[in-house]
Amino acid sequence: MLKILIPTLMLIPTAWFAPPKWLWPLTLMGSLLIAVTSFSWFKSTSEVGWTTLNSYMATDPLSTPLLALTCWLLPLMILASQHHTHNEPLNRQRTYLTLLISLQFFLILAFSATELIMFYVMFEATLLPTLMIITRWGNQAERLNAGMYFLFYTLASSLPLLVALLILQNTSGTLSLLTLQYMSPMSLTTHADKLWWVGCLLAFLVKMPLYGVHLWLPKAHVEAPIAGSMILAAVLLKLGGFGMMRMMLVLEPLTKEMLYPFIVFALWGIVMAGSICLRQTDLKSLIAYSSVSHMGLVVAGILVQTPWGFAGALILMIAHGLTSSALFCLANTNYERIHSRSILLARGLHMVLPLMATWWFFASMANLALPPLPNLMGELMIITSLIGWSYWTLALTGTGMLITASYSMYMFITTQRGPLPNHLVALDPSHTREHLIMALHLLPLILLILNPQLISGWVN
Amino acid sequence: MSPYVLALLLFSLGLGTTMTFASSHWLLAWIGLEINTLAIIPLMAQNHHPRAVEATTKYFLIQATAAAVLLFAGTTNAWLTGQWEIQQDAHPLPVAIITLALALKLGLAPLHSWVPEVFQGLDLTTGLVLATWQKLAPLALLLQIHPPNSYLLILLGLTSTLIGGWGGLNQTQLRKILAYSSTAQLGWMVLVLQFSPSLTTLAVSVYVTTTAATFLTLKLAKATSINMLAISWAKAPALVALTPLVLLSLAGLPPMTGFMPKWLILQELSKQGLAPTATLAALTALLSLYYYLRITYTMTLTMFPNNLSGTPPWRLRTHKTTLPLACLAITTISLLPLTPAAVALVAL
Repeated sequence: MLKILIPTLMLIPTAWFAPPKWLWPLTLMGSLLIAVTSFSWFKSTSEVGWTTLNSYMATDPLSTPLLALTCWLLPLMILASQHHTHNEPLNRQRTYLTLLISLQFFLILAFSATELIMFYVMFEATLLPTLMIITRWGNQAERLNAGMYFLFYTLASSLPLLVALLILQNTSGTLSLLTLQYMSPMSLTTHADKLWWVGCLLAFLVKMPLYGVHLWLPKAHVEAPIAGSMILAAVLLKLGGFGMMRMMLVLEPLTKEMLYPFIVFALWGIVMAGSICLRQTDLKSLIAYSSVSHMGLVVAGILVQTPWGFAGALILMIAHGLTSSALFCLANTNYERIHSRSILLARGLHMVLPLMATWWFFASMANLALPPLPNLMGELMIITSLIGWSYWTLALTGTGMLITASYSMYMFITTQRGPLPNHLVALDPSHTREHLIMALHLLPLILLILNPQLISGWVN
Repeated sequence: MSPYVLALLLFSLGLGTTMTFASSHWLLAWIGLEINTLAIIPLMAQNHHPRAVEATTKYFLIQATAAAVLLFAGTTNAWLTGQWEIQQDAHPLPVAIITLALALKLGLAPLHSWVPEVFQGLDLTTGLVLATWQKLAPLALLLQIHPPNSYLLILLGLTSTLIGGWGGLNQTQLRKILAYSSTAQLGWMVLVLQFSPSLTTLAVSVYVTTTAATFLTLKLAKATSINMLAISWAKAPALVALTPLVLLSLAGLPPMTGFMPKWLILQELSKQGLAPTATLAALTALLSLYYYLRITYTMTLTMFPNNLSGTPPWRLRTHKTTLPLACLAITTISLLPLTPAAVALVAL
C-alpha cells in the first residue's frame, strides 16, 4: 500500500522541483507509473478478502476497483489540464498539480481506510482540493456559488454522519471495518435509531447524489475545470457509493423498512434527471445530469442489499466513472475550441474531426449502456435485483434506460451529425494528447468486457 | 509607547493571568483578573484614537462588571459554605452566578454584545492579545468550578456557537468577524467543560494557535476589511496560498488541526448521550464556515478585477518577525495526525 501512497506523496515535490520544460511530462510519467503499479492490487490471494493489510489501510474486492480507477485518473487529469493551464505562471501550474496530487492522496487513503473515522476524515479532506480547483480555476463567475453549494451540501450531510459514527463507536465498541462485518445485528427499534440510520447514510446519498439533494452537482460539474469535472464525476461521486456499501453492514435490520423514501427518490431521479438531460443546451450540464441519473440507479441497487445489486452497483460505478470522465473530456475538447459549452454551437463535427467523432460515438454508446460494455452489465444486474425486490420498479428503470438512450443519442447526433454550421471556420485539429486521453479512458472500458470479475466486488 | 511603560504593562498582563492560575482563594483570583484588566487598558488606548478609547471604555466597563459580580458571588459562596477555596464544593447558586460572570468576561452568548465593538476599535496586535491571552484566566476559573449536570453551560455553549455563526454572516470588517468567531469557538470549549475539562484545555490550545495564526496573517496583509484582502496576493503570495488552510482550520474542517477539538468534543458529547446537542453544535459550525469561506474567496481563490500591470507593491524583505506566524501556520495545518499524542498530553 505504501508502495503507491508514498510515490503519490512524492509527486508533490516532483511538481515543485521539476524544471519548467519537464513539469508536465514528469508528473505525467510519475502518475502513470503509479497507476500501472496500482493494478497489482487486483491480485488478491487472501481468504478473508482483505489484502495489502497494514494497521490503517487495506484493500478488498470492493475498494480495489475504485482505487485503481482513482490512480488511473490522475494521469488522465494531468493530460487534460495541460492546455488550459499553459498560459498561467509556472508556480500556479505547480499549485494546480499539487492540488490534483493531494486529491489523489486523500482518495487513496479514503478508499483503503479500515477504520470508519479515517474514512470520514479523508472523505472530508477530499472536499478541500476540489473546492480550490473549482473556485480558483473555474471559468465563469458562477463558480463561487458552485463551490459554496458543493461544500455546504456535503458538509451539512456529513456532520450528522460524524455524530452517527461516534454513536456507533459507543454502542459497538469498534469502528474497524474488519471487525464490524462480524458484528451481530443490533436491535434498532426506536425513533432515535431511525434518525441514526438516516444520519449514517445521508452524507453518502448527498454525495452520490440522490435526486432530491442533487443541486450541487450540476453547478460543481459545470463550473469546474476539466480536471475537476473528471475527478468529480469519476471518483468523488463513487465515494458516496462506496461509503453506502460499507455502512450497509451495520445498518442491518432497519434498512428493510427505512429504504422506501430513498428508493423512491432514486428511481424517480433516474427518470427526472434523464428528462432534464433531454432539454439541456449546456453540454457539461447534460453530462452532469446524466451522472445524477446513473447514480440514482446505483443508489437503488445498493439499497436493496442483494449480491447482484451490490455487484451491479460497483460495476456501474466503475463503468460510469470512465464513461462520464470521457464525456467530460470530449466536452472539453469542444470548449477549448469554441470557448462555449453550448451544444448548439459546435455541431456536425463528424465532418471536421472524424476520429474525435469515433470517440464521441464510443462514449455516447457507453453512456446509453450498449452491450457488451460493462455499463450494461451493471445496469442489468441492478435492474434484475430491483425486480426481485418489486416488479413495479421495472416501469421506472425501463423508462429510465429509454430516456438515457434518448439523450445520449441526442447529444451524439447534435454534436457530431448533421450539417456543419457556417460559423465554424477555424477549428484546431485534434491534438494527439486529446486522442490519448480518450483512448486511455475507453480502452480500459472495452477491456473490462473481457474480465468483469475484476470490478464485480465480493460476488466472486 | 515608552519601552519602560510597555514592559511594565506586559509584565502586569502576565502577572494578572498567572495570579489567577495560581490562586485557590476567590479573592486572589479576582485580584488577578482585575490586574489583567487594568494592564490591558493602556495597551488598548495607546494610540488615543477616539474609536480605540471608545473600545477601551466599553471593555473596561464590561470587565469591571464581570469581576465585581465574580467577587460578589465568591463572597456569597463564602457566606453559604463557610470557605473561600475555589476547588472545594460550592453552593450551586454562587456557581451559577460565577459561570455567568465568567461568560460575560469571555464574551459567550448571550453576553457577547461587547465583543465585536471592542475588537473593532483595536489594532490587530491588541486584538490578538484580547482574543487569546485574555481568555485564559477566565477559562482557568471555569475549568476549576465546572458544575456537573449543568444545563447552563450547555445552553451557553450552544447559544455561543449559534450566535457566533449568525452574527458574523453580515460583517465585512475583519475584526468583527474574528470577534464573532472567537465567540463561536469559546462556545465549543464551554460545551464539553463539564464532561471532560481536558478536552476544553485541548480546544483552548488549538483555538489559541489557530486564532493567532489568523490574526498574524491579517496583520501581515495589513487588511482590516474584506475588500482590503483582495490585493494581498501581491504582497505575500505564499502566505496567501496558505491562508485558506489556516482559515478552514479555524472553521474546523478536516484534515487540519482545527478538526481535532471538534471531533473529540463531538465524541465526548455522544458518549454522554447528548447526540442531538452534538449534531446541533456541528451544524452551527457551518454558519461560521460561511464567513471564513467568504474571506478565503476574497483573499486567495478569486482575483480582484483590478488592472495590476505595473502597480503590485514592492515585496521588500520585512523587518517584522515572521517566525511566529510561520510556526503557527504549520501547526494549524498539519497536526491532526498527532491527535492521540494531544489527547494524552491534556488528559488531566
